[in-house]
Amino acid sequence: MNFKGTLPTLILEAVEHHPSHGYRIAQGIKQRSEGVLDFKEGTLYPALHKLENEGCIESYEETENGRARRYYRITKDGRGMLAKDRAEWRQLSRAVTEILGEA
Amino acid sequence: MAPVELWIEGATKCLSQESAAQVRKEITEHYEATRESAIANGAAAQDAERAALEALGDARTANKQYCRVMLTESEAKVLRQGDREASFVCSNSWLKWTMLVFPLAGIVVAALMWIKGEHLPALAIIVAGLFFGNLLLAPFLPIYTPSRSRVFRAVKLVAQAVAMVVIFGGALKYFWLMAACFWPIFYSEWQRATIRRKLPVAQWPKQLYL
Repeated sequence: MNFKGTLPTLILEAVEHHPSHGYRIAQGIKQRSEGVLDFKEGTLYPALHKLENEGCIESYEETENGRARRYYRITKDGRGMLAKDRAEWRQLSRAVTEILGEA
Repeated sequence: MAPVELWIEGATKCLSQESAAQVRKEITEHYEATRESAIANGAAAQDAERAALEALGDARTANKQYCRVMLTESEAKVLRQGDREASFVCSNSWLKWTMLVFPLAGIVVAALMWIKGEHLPALAIIVAGLFFGNLLLAPFLPIYTPSRSRVFRAVKLVAQAVAMVVIFGGALKYFWLMAACFWPIFYSEWQRATIRRKLPVAQWPKQLYL
């Protein structure tokens, strides 16, 4: 399942507590959603670049197991955006549940 | 050519050299990590490669998204040309001073003409000064922050619109002709706006502030 437009929010959530690299972010989202939220990994990096351009995340290089990797960490603006997205999502989710009814 | 190389080639179409190099690096890194993980989970080398490539998805879709967020070759060309123009002006002191003095001399001449009672030519010089002044003086103004940049661009837009209306006020029905003549200016402004959206503020060269 791929909810259009939610990937940036999921990325911000994935790097909220500690910096991470692209591969780990992708795997984290898939595992935490138990495979429900699936997306093509080639589209992850354009979303990361967009968030970086908007100042929501920043990147730096670090070596892990002898291999240079680009890590991404959330910024102050990113935390603000994540909080706003979370609130909007809860509101939307509540409204849809009200209409469809809980299973 | 390896399948992943073909994928990268498709995903980096139309991107600038720097952007393409960055995409190549991050996708290769990601592909290798996925492949190694599959091998560690017991997959055969060929199956692991196929799974890693499938996980990347469609190269054309990725290319469309990359082109929206990273510099394309034509945008990089605009930046390179702007840099060349700026370094040419700044390295040529004669040209630099001419550009600084020209609008000021225009104001003095317009004032003298106005005092002499030659109002129409004085007005024409002021209008021309408004139009060209902000273009000539812009590189020398202390505009280094996004907020100053926004103010300057708003002032520039208003000054140019006023100059247009004053010059062509009586012939606004030929606006389509004016729009056609000034199309290159509109196009380059639009490209700069796109580049501003694609680059973090910390990476903006001076020309993007103007």
